[in-house]
Amino acid sequence: MTVAAGIGYALLALGPSLSLFVSVISRKPFLILTLLSSTLVWLVSLIILSGLWRPFLPLKANVWWPYALLVLSSVCFQEALRFLFWKLYMRLEDVLDSFADRISRPRLFLTDKLQIALAGGLGHGVAHAVFFCLSLLTPAFGPATFYVDRCSKVPFFLVSAIIALAFVTIHTFSMVIAFEGYAKGNKVDQVIVPVIHLSAGMLTLVNFASEGCVIGVPLLYLVASLTLLHCGKMVWQRLIESQNQSGSTLR
Amino acid sequence: MESSSILDSLGVEIIGVMAPVSICMFLVVLLTYSLSVTSDPQIRTAANLIYIENPSDSATVKLEGSLENAIVFVVLVAAVTFVLVLLFYYNFTNFLKHYMRFSAFFVLGTMGGAIFLSIIQHFSIPVDSITCFVLLFNFTVLGTLSVFSEGMPIVVRQCYMVVMGIVVAAWFTKLPEWTTWFILVALALYDLVAVLAPGGPLKLLVELASTRDQELPAMVYEARPTVSRSGGGGSSLRVLVGGGGGGVSDSGSVELQAVGDGAATHNLDYNAVAVMDVDSVDGVGRSREGHSASPVSSEHSRELGSVGNRESVAEEEMSPLVELMGWGDNREEPRGLAEESDNIDRGIKLGLGDFIFYSVLVGRAAMYDLMTVYACYLAIISGLGCTLILLSVYNKALPALPISIMLGVVFYFLTRLLMEPFVVGMTTNLMMF
Repeated sequence: MTVAAGIGYALLALGPSLSLFVSVISRKPFLILTLLSSTLVWLVSLIILSGLWRPFLPLKANVWWPYALLVLSSVCFQEALRFLFWKLYMRLEDVLDSFADRISRPRLFLTDKLQIALAGGLGHGVAHAVFFCLSLLTPAFGPATFYVDRCSKVPFFLVSAIIALAFVTIHTFSMVIAFEGYAKGNKVDQVIVPVIHLSAGMLTLVNFASEGCVIGVPLLYLVASLTLLHCGKMVWQRLIESQNQSGSTLR
Repeated sequence: MESSSILDSLGVEIIGVMAPVSICMFLVVLLTYSLSVTSDPQIRTAANLIYIENPSDSATVKLEGSLENAIVFVVLVAAVTFVLVLLFYYNFTNFLKHYMRFSAFFVLGTMGGAIFLSIIQHFSIPVDSITCFVLLFNFTVLGTLSVFSEGMPIVVRQCYMVVMGIVVAAWFTKLPEWTTWFILVALALYDLVAVLAPGGPLKLLVELASTRDQELPAMVYEARPTVSRSGGGGSSLRVLVGGGGGGVSDSGSVELQAVGDGAATHNLDYNAVAVMDVDSVDGVGRSREGHSASPVSSEHSRELGSVGNRESVAEEEMSPLVELMGWGDNREEPRGLAEESDNIDRGIKLGLGDFIFYSVLVGRAAMYDLMTVYACYLAIISGLGCTLILLSVYNKALPALPISIMLGVVFYFLTRLLMEPFVVGMTTNLMMF
């Protein structure tokens, strides 16, 4: 993989997040801090998970069920962590609101809350892309590239970048869905997030079959676009609602 | 203005500190990546006086040797710091200032020159030696001037602080692996003791400086290009900016200090200073670094102006997130201060040593893998965040190294030992979650 190809793969995986970062997150320092802390949370979760699974590694390359178990446990753990993350955010929101009251500024707007959720999700997504895709790129610069047997048509790095992009999308926007779901007590939204995450994780198991990535990756993108669609619809509704409620306070 | 949300301004000063640290770390990582092949592996510095690590040595030999190296280094650093305290105590402030300028010149000229040279060689940049010399000389002189003079735009000073951090850190990444880890841990511990223990050299320096209400020349990065806000506050603020760079040097210590001196109109500033004493012989790999003291200090100063409250709303709006967090614990204190003076201004200062040793850690991690780099980066940044929060709670000078370095080291080894096989095993089977 040459340097140009490496940069290309990195941009493929992280390009959308980069533009999201530049256009939304980097404008507000607080969002950057949110992003960093959520990335840290994800990293810690990954370290704990790998600590738990370390005794069983390396898994046998020809049986698929240990991998299924691994994905299942990881998703459950991370979803539990997401709930904790939200609890933490609730406390933070209280602090912010009381701070706003004290200096007689308006409390957090709906858009602010959505942006915080977006930054939190983006942190998870970026962490995913960095650890699962980018970190494998850097040691691999050189004249050759690498193919895995089970997906022999496409270079390994390209597939992992494409998959990472799907996961970045899923992580980013499912966090928005989850936060809104928790905030409004909407059971459907609360349940749909773990379901999305789990199904996306399970879909990568399809790659285990020989040439399975031809089917697995498009299915993954289906899940990603459904997430995006659901998130967009929900945010749109919320914006309309709050506009109707409070007239012009919304920017 | 009324309709803008508090989110817009919150956390500005934290990012103001984190951004340069991130830039510094990023550039050091790039440097180590691109130059690690060409640069010669062994250098002789104060950091490995006793033992020269050899990759083929057994683990016990390496362990003992690096431990000895680390102890010697820390002792040297402590000795230099005490000398500085003495010099400062007997009012050799000008000597210290000139000495700092001198070391800045040599750091930029020789160590920086060596790094530029290897960059030129590595990328085969076509440049003749005269041009190169003139450019380097100009660069160095501008850097030396910018470090302590008051006339320079703050941006230039900030840039040169980052550049010096990069140069020294890139140099330190050439130390052998075990020695690097031991030295980082030892320095973090030393920093903790020197700043917090009674009789610690940095603590002495701080107290000395604040009782005399005097500034010391220090190599510090000022997070906020302080702009004068309102009337009376403005001028003394500017004094702060001008003089804040004073320092004392101490090697490797970093501190964050928040000083709240309710009564004084004057700010308090404390400086830790570091001295970089580099006697490098010639620009090349043979140069010895005397004791490198990395100077560091960070200063968090708060200025209490006596002035007008008309701007108080705006000011409070700008009040740091740090303070906000701190309020959870001790609501009373900031309140009290606020009453004494309507005008609160603060800037966080971070010592150059922080930049250096954070970057050394990340640079060392970069020699292994990007995964470890990213983990260490996050650990260090969050450690810095924790330190800033503690700063707002305790409101006194705090060492910035311990939390970050400890977290960084822990995350490095966790990532390397636990996460690497896990993640590689997953991804090579194209399995993710």
